[in-house]
Formats: sequence, structure tokens, C-alpha cells
Amino acid sequence: MTMQLQADAQPEAGTQLMKVRGMSMSYGFGASENKILEDLNLDVASGEFISIVGPSGVGKTTLLRCLSGLLRPKAGTIEVSGTVISGPHPDLAVVFQDYSRSLMPWMTTRDNVAFPLQGKGMGKVERNRVADENLAAVGLEGQGDKFPWEMSGGMQQRVAIARALAYNAKVLLMDEPFASVDAQTRFDLEDLVIKLKQELGVTILLVTHDIDEALYLADKVVVIAEKPATVVDEIITGFGEDRDQLATKADPRFADARARIMHRLRKD
Amino acid sequence: MKETTTAPGWLLVQRVAAIAILLGLWSLLIASGTMPSMLPGVIQIFSGIGEALTSSIFWAALSRTLLTALAGWAIASIIGVLFGLIIGSIKFLDRSTSILIDFGRSFPVLALMPVVIMLLGSNARMEIVVVSLSCLWPVLVQTIYGARRQEAAVADTVAVFKIPALLRFRRVLLPSALPFVATGVRISASIALLVAVGVEVISQAPGIGRQITLMQQAQRWDLAFAYLIFTGLVGWCLAVALQQVENRLLIWKRQEND
Ligand SMILES: Nc1ncnc2c1ncn2[C@@H]1O[C@H](COP(=O)(O)OP(=O)(O)OP(=O)(O)O)[C@@H](O)[C@H]1O
Ligand SMILES: [Mg+2]
Repeated sequence: MTMQLQADAQPEAGTQLMKVRGMSMSYGFGASENKILEDLNLDVASGEFISIVGPSGVGKTTLLRCLSGLLRPKAGTIEVSGTVISGPHPDLAVVFQDYSRSLMPWMTTRDNVAFPLQGKGMGKVERNRVADENLAAVGLEGQGDKFPWEMSGGMQQRVAIARALAYNAKVLLMDEPFASVDAQTRFDLEDLVIKLKQELGVTILLVTHDIDEALYLADKVVVIAEKPATVVDEIITGFGEDRDQLATKADPRFADARARIMHRLRKD
Repeated sequence: MKETTTAPGWLLVQRVAAIAILLGLWSLLIASGTMPSMLPGVIQIFSGIGEALTSSIFWAALSRTLLTALAGWAIASIIGVLFGLIIGSIKFLDRSTSILIDFGRSFPVLALMPVVIMLLGSNARMEIVVVSLSCLWPVLVQTIYGARRQEAAVADTVAVFKIPALLRFRRVLLPSALPFVATGVRISASIALLVAVGVEVISQAPGIGRQITLMQQAQRWDLAFAYLIFTGLVGWCLAVALQQVENRLLIWKRQEND
């Protein structure tokens, strides 16, 4: 099974996977320079689920694009598996905010998931098998022959997640992955991601503006705020493995953490 | 794209009626005696087409013209798509070549013919060169447009998953530009036939164009018109066939737009 394969491939829990030091980012130069991120530090250990929460427009997408190697930060370093990166790294896979556009409409869902594997040089039979396994893992068993545009938004997002999983990266970077689906679908997808993290042992770094979502999913919530944005708070959630949309959100610790984050965000 | 709400049967009746009216007007015009007497009537043209269909010279000439047109068109399509994708997807190439390409597309290729004939002679090779030169620009320009319009999210995906350049070219760039490429290829298919016949008329290279001239010189106006109209019909069939292929290849595009 994939589950077993993937779990075996992941490094031992607690190993340091990403290390961000003094990262700054701005758009434009000189007088028109627009500072977005300043002196950001972040550590990601294997098996961790980290949420980065911040208000709309604070620079979350910019941060994720820097972490994924799509943008070069103006200052600071990003280390992945012990080496400083200067571009996309095979240990990192991304699920984009604009997921429906990031799937290719001329490919079936199976081909979409298998495409990055083809890029790695994997043979057709093998990559189609891996694609089907990962589609099954996200609850899309037997849907490989459909095209993305034949699917609902929630299903497309599952395909994007399957593609990132199939790539067999160590860290999954997700940019507001559930921002544009309805509430019920959103809860289903949140629970799917928690399940995948527990069963496959992948490390997830998810960016969101939704405080409840950040808390519900994560082991550690990193709050970014101010302009230029920097880390203003870090909270270890401590809810353990078992999460439930009702019970976890009714936990008094949930309410406390929520109040603390709201307070931090309001003050700035 | 909006579909008309007319039932297909009714649409067919309308189309047939339009053709009938046109033929009727033609007959009237001939009957009125205002046109030069050499202009053949509808019946003469139809019997001319009948005669042409049984003439081996006609079929040989037509297939010759079609083959040269096809060859020129294929060469232009391959070169146009290849260079179009490369130019359109690389910003600095796109910017630096845009003046050249705008100039090239408005260049009257037919006026180059005397030079090409002098270099290559009145033969199929010359004809293929002129056809390719005429077909190249629509394909090239359309492909460049298509390659420019890459979705940012798709480009990010390709970068994140480190897709190698050749694979990206074949499975991302080409399909995403395909709606534009198809238009260019379809336009140049009709240009190919048009130019091939024109070149044969002017240069007397063998083919249907030359046959048309010969018939005119022999005062067989009915046959000249019959050849002309039948060639037009073939061109129209080609365009319809290409449209069918295009529709099949681009199902995803239409679905996406819904
Ligand atoms: N390519 C760019 N060039 C210049 N400025 C940009 C660019 N991308 C983003 N910005 C600016 O950077 C700031 C942060 O944008 P970013 O998209 O990172 O925020 P975000 O937190 O992801 O927002 P949202 O919640 O809307 O997704 C915004 O003020 C935006 O206008
Ligand atoms: Mg964003």
C-alpha cells in the first residue's frame, strides 16, 4: 500500500527539515520598495503540522512562495534537509491557493497526479499505479479517468493534494487550500489532511487567515502580523492525535488560544 | 460559444435555400444578357463538373495541387508551431522579435514569386516554398499569442515540481497554446490551397491552376468555372474536417469555458 510506502520514506519524527533564518522579502526597488516580510525565523521538524496564520494581505502567499523556492528572498536563508535552497527543492511539494488553475485541464486527473513523476523519469505503468494509489488515499478511488473540469471544487482540491503526496516530498506547503469551498467540504478536507498527516507521516506547513482552521489542524500555530510582517507569536496547541470538529473546537484550550491569537492580531 | 436554438433540420433547409437562391440569381443574371456572353450558366457549370469528375487529367491536376498545398502547409505548421512556442514562451525573445514578426506577416509573399521562380524554376518545389512562406505567418503569430498566455498557476506548478524543459514543452506549453495554434493552422490550410492555385495560374507550374488557365485559353469557360468551383468545394471540405479534429482535441477548452 501507498500508506506503508510513504510512511517508510519519511524521516524519523522530530528531525529538522526546514530552517528559516532572518528572511526578508520586498517587492520593487528603491523609493517604491514595498517591504512585505522582515526577519522571519521558522523551524519545521519532521512529522509536525504547522499552521501560519495572519490577516488577509499580510504576505502569506509571499511567504509560502519564498519557502517553496519560487521567489528569492531579499535577505536571509532557507535550509531544506540541511542545504540552503535557491529554487524549488524535491523535498518540497506545494498545494496552491489557486488550485483549480494549477491543475491542467487537458490532462485527466490521473495524468495530473502522475505528471511530476514523469518529470522525475518514472515509467508510465509505475507512475500511473502511484497516481491511482494516491487518488485513492484522498478519497478519489477510480476517478483517474475524469478531467478536473468534470469535478467539484472540493474534488479538484483533493486531486491537487494527491499530486503533492505522489511527488513524495518530505514537506507539504499549502496556501489557504480550503478558502474557496463551502463549509461542509472544508471540514471534510480538513479532516482528510489530518488523516493523511497521521497515516503517511508527512510534514505539513499550512498558511491560512482562518484562526479556527489554524488551531484545529496544527501542532504549532505561528502568528504573523504587522507591516512588514514578522512572527509575533507561537502557540503549541497540544490537542494530540484525535481531533474532532465539535469536541476539539469546544475544548477550553481552543477558546483560550483563539482569544490569544485574536488579541495579538487586533493589537497590531 | 452560444449555440443557435434552431433545430438542425430547419437549419439545413435554410442553408439549401440560400444556395438555391444564389444559383437562381446567377441564372437570372445570365438570362438577362447583361453579363459577357462567355460566362457559363448554372447548368453548363454542373455539366462541366460532371465532365471534370470523369477526366483523369482533372484528377491528376487536382491531386498534384492538393499535395503541394498540403506539403507547404505541413512544413509551415511544424516550423510555425515550433518557433512560435519558443518565441512566445521566452519573454526576451518575444520582445526582441515582435517587430520582425509584424513586418513578416504584412509582407506580400506573392510579390516574391518572380524571385523564387528565378531561383527554383516553375515547379512543385517552388510552389511548396511560396505556399509555406504564405502559411507560416498565421501559424507563427497565433502560436506566439497562445504561448504568451500561460496561466501563472500552471507556470508555478511546473516550477515547483521541477518539470524538465522538453516535457514542459510537449505536455504543458503545446496543449495550453493549442486553442490558438489550431486557429492558425486552420486559417493557413485555406491559404495553402488558395496560394497553390494562384501560383499555378501565374507561373504555369503543373496543377489545377494551370488547367484552369488552359481551359480559359481554349474558350472552355464552363470547364474553367467547373474546376474553380470544385476546387473551392474541396477546400471547404478540408476546412470542415479540420474543424472537426479541432473540436475533438479541444473538448477541455469548451468545457472549461462553460
Ligand atoms: N508580485 C507582486 N508584486 C508586487 N506586490 C505584490 C506582489 N504580490 C503581492 N504583492 C503585495 O504584497 C502584499 C502581500 O501579498 P500576499 O499575496 O502575499 O498576501 P496574502 O496574505 O497571501 O493575502 P491573501 O489573504 O489575500 O491571500 C500585498 O500588499 C500585495 O499587494
Ligand atoms: Mg494569499
